[in-house]
Amino acid sequence: MIRIRVTSVVIIAAFVFLLFSIFNLQIVKGRHFKQLSDRNCIRLIPQEGSRGNILDREGYIIAGSELSYDAAISSELSSSLDNSLFVVSKVLQASPSELKARFKKNFIGKFAPVTIAKNITLKQAIALEELKPDFPEIVIQPHPQRSYPYGELAAHVLGYLNEIDNLRLTRLAGYGYKTKDTVGFGGVEEQYDYYLRQEEGGISLEVDHRGRFVRSLGFRLPKNGRDIQLTLNLKVQKIAEEALTGKVGCVILMDPYTGEIIAMESYPDFAPGAFVKRSNSVIRSLFSNSKAPLVNRAISSSYPAGSLFKTVVASAGLETGKINTSTTFFCSGKTTVGRQEFACWGQHGAQNLFNAIAHSCNIFFYNTGLLVGAQSIHDYAYKFGFGKQTSIDLPREANGFIPSPLWRKISRLRSWFDGDTANFSIGQGDVLVTPIQVARMMAVFANNGHLVSPYIVKAIDGRDVSLYQRKTIIVPVKEKTISQIKRGLRQVVADPTGTASNLAELTVPVAAKTGTAQAPPGQPHGWFAGYFPSDKPKFVICVFLERGGAGYYAGLVAKEIIGKMSQEGLI
Amino acid sequence: MDSFRRIFLISIVIACIGIFSIYSSTYQKGMNQAQMQMLWAVVGIVLFLFFTNFNYRRFWDVTYFIYAAGLILLFMVFLLGSVRLGAQRWLKVAWFNLQPSELAKLIMVIFLARYFSRKSADEVWLLSRKFGVFKGLILPFIFTAIPMLLIIEQPDLGSGIILLLTFTAMLYLTRVRMRYIVIFVLVILLCIPLGWLMLRDYQKDRLMVFLNPNADPLGAGYTLIQSKIAIGSGGFFGKGWLSGTQSQLHFLPESHTDFIFATFAEEWGFLGVMLLILLYYFLIREGFAIAQRTTDSFARLLAFGISLMLAIQIIVNIAMTMGLAPVVGLPLPLMSYGGSSLAVTFIALGILVNIDKRRTVF
Repeated sequence: MIRIRVTSVVIIAAFVFLLFSIFNLQIVKGRHFKQLSDRNCIRLIPQEGSRGNILDREGYIIAGSELSYDAAISSELSSSLDNSLFVVSKVLQASPSELKARFKKNFIGKFAPVTIAKNITLKQAIALEELKPDFPEIVIQPHPQRSYPYGELAAHVLGYLNEIDNLRLTRLAGYGYKTKDTVGFGGVEEQYDYYLRQEEGGISLEVDHRGRFVRSLGFRLPKNGRDIQLTLNLKVQKIAEEALTGKVGCVILMDPYTGEIIAMESYPDFAPGAFVKRSNSVIRSLFSNSKAPLVNRAISSSYPAGSLFKTVVASAGLETGKINTSTTFFCSGKTTVGRQEFACWGQHGAQNLFNAIAHSCNIFFYNTGLLVGAQSIHDYAYKFGFGKQTSIDLPREANGFIPSPLWRKISRLRSWFDGDTANFSIGQGDVLVTPIQVARMMAVFANNGHLVSPYIVKAIDGRDVSLYQRKTIIVPVKEKTISQIKRGLRQVVADPTGTASNLAELTVPVAAKTGTAQAPPGQPHGWFAGYFPSDKPKFVICVFLERGGAGYYAGLVAKEIIGKMSQEGLI
Repeated sequence: MDSFRRIFLISIVIACIGIFSIYSSTYQKGMNQAQMQMLWAVVGIVLFLFFTNFNYRRFWDVTYFIYAAGLILLFMVFLLGSVRLGAQRWLKVAWFNLQPSELAKLIMVIFLARYFSRKSADEVWLLSRKFGVFKGLILPFIFTAIPMLLIIEQPDLGSGIILLLTFTAMLYLTRVRMRYIVIFVLVILLCIPLGWLMLRDYQKDRLMVFLNPNADPLGAGYTLIQSKIAIGSGGFFGKGWLSGTQSQLHFLPESHTDFIFATFAEEWGFLGVMLLILLYYFLIREGFAIAQRTTDSFARLLAFGISLMLAIQIIVNIAMTMGLAPVVGLPLPLMSYGGSSLAVTFIALGILVNIDKRRTVF
């Protein structure tokens, strides 16, 4: 009978269909369902390690860890939740309803204590701990938290810690970063986050359908982050901070031979602790402050170079043979280039190279620049490290900018005139440099012709990494040129009419160059860059004051720093 | 091997697999369901042996009597039945609870087999060939609908639907004209919207969940989601006996009754599932072979009815655990915990064996 055959075929087809469906569930999608099954019954109680410390070159902790306390309630031990929340709320002086809302929000399962208050004070923690005999459900969980023993000191070098943002999360997801992770923002905290960050450990538990503990599956110890030792000298840093307080600008002190940053301070600064404490009002005011306290002015902003640039022009002139030590130009206070009049800031009379550097005479450098030519100045500026990053190991370094006639033609559709060359020769016009580039340029003279790579991390986890950091390029400039410029730089301080002659009072001989960069509207930027002791340089110093008036004022800051350093025997 | 040994062996193996799975999913709660099931299996085997030697032709004579008895039992459930899990399905008899709906399924198969195999006065041809729409369709359906509605009202939608499906399948295997069957199926389909109104809220929820499993993941959809996770996470080799996290840690509700298949699949994997399905298939095929071998038209329809009833229950139950059929309370024959289901299945298999034995007598 046909109906019997149809029925048996239908039954067989149904069995085959069932087998295929089971194959699909168990074999094709098996891995997915295995994960779902694990997620059902495996819970993780995380345990945090502490983030690596950041030390100065002598081992003082600039950013460390301290214990902070969270209050939690274990619902397994609690006989009456409302009752225990009420007791806790009295100690913490919070409303029970707020605590209850937090309890509900943070509840994972009966097996785990639920955090109801974060970062409570040590006093509150002790008070709660004393309640424990009567209320065994109260749990105090200590966990490590970033601390800054010196407050705002070196804040820009350190950076701050905050919850990971969307941008970083997408970039770092491949390195095991997750949402809600705390990561570094700016400074060493960001650049070396991978080394500093702790590895989470914890206990994995098996729970049943009501979240009750069944058995423990495993335990992994949390790993602390690696300590990082900086090249900073805290004492020098403190002197720099004090000298800069109340002004807007930055100070860099660098070892001229290795590129080690001894001090780097930018002002206005900020307290990185505000981000740890999550004090929103403070954080908001930091972001809305028009003086941008979060910006590290030493590396992240570029400014017109002003007269500092004359050292580059002078080197170019000597190297190309357009001028020599006996070349003299007469300064009558002004000169005409093309149809335009260019002024000097004084009337210096006959000036040779050394006088011109000491007096920062514009007329000498207009003429030198015109002899050398804009393209050559551009090339020499690059040789001294301008126009590109110094590749210091800190995030968000600015490039700076050095113009050239070709660039002008391409991007501005304008020709380059001699007037532009004259402006270029005194570091005005389109020239933009960062303080760290200036410090490095000064180091070339201090160390006789080597372009160093500045760096700030000396050792990671006790292992010296300075060898990997230290990269020097020999600047293709004759030794004679260097020594002639050095002589000029020394004159700036040593010559009683030099622009920084007030620094001659110091016991330490200093060689330097000041700069007053016009940046209308408003006050000019003040520059001071030099090295000391001038006969046997140990430090390069660069002081920059944003809209701080003439270079003289920057010189005063430098004088204060160098004076205090020699007082404290740090030189 | 004759059909007795084959059916006996297969059913004992499946029942043992069932007992192992019941033990695995209940031993942690400290309950003795596995022992109870073992006891019921012994009772079932005794019943099986009894019915292999009980002449099935006697059912012909007492059909109307057992049909009436079945109806009385179902009525008694309404009057005296004990309420468990929100349903009134059980009758307390001595020390155990009897589930008359399980018995009613078998009774209906016997009843329909007799109804459609009546012969003309001269015993030459089957009356069913000349049945009109009333005798061939409406009358037997009324006889089926009475117990069916009683069962659905318990509420036990699963058994009711099995009854309806078994009726349809048996109708197909008689000589009733094809056009009546087509009409019947169409009418049933048209009645579905009407039936929807009669359903209880939780049954509606379950059907909605069948259409969209993620509609209510913590309510009506929970069981299905956990069941799929249990089956899927078994993989090829399974997690091993007593190691299925879904059933051991009680994520899967009803893990020893209606969802025993998920428990088994989680612990024994695709390998075990293939074996189990093969066993079930051999059992059904054996029933079909017996039906085709016999020359007695009553025996033939009875054997087909029993095999189909088992096949439909197995297929619907397994499909249900994977979300391929709506979740309705329905045991997996020989595996699920429950004495009535196990005993009735063994009785049905005993009747099958007896049919094959009597064949040589004629």
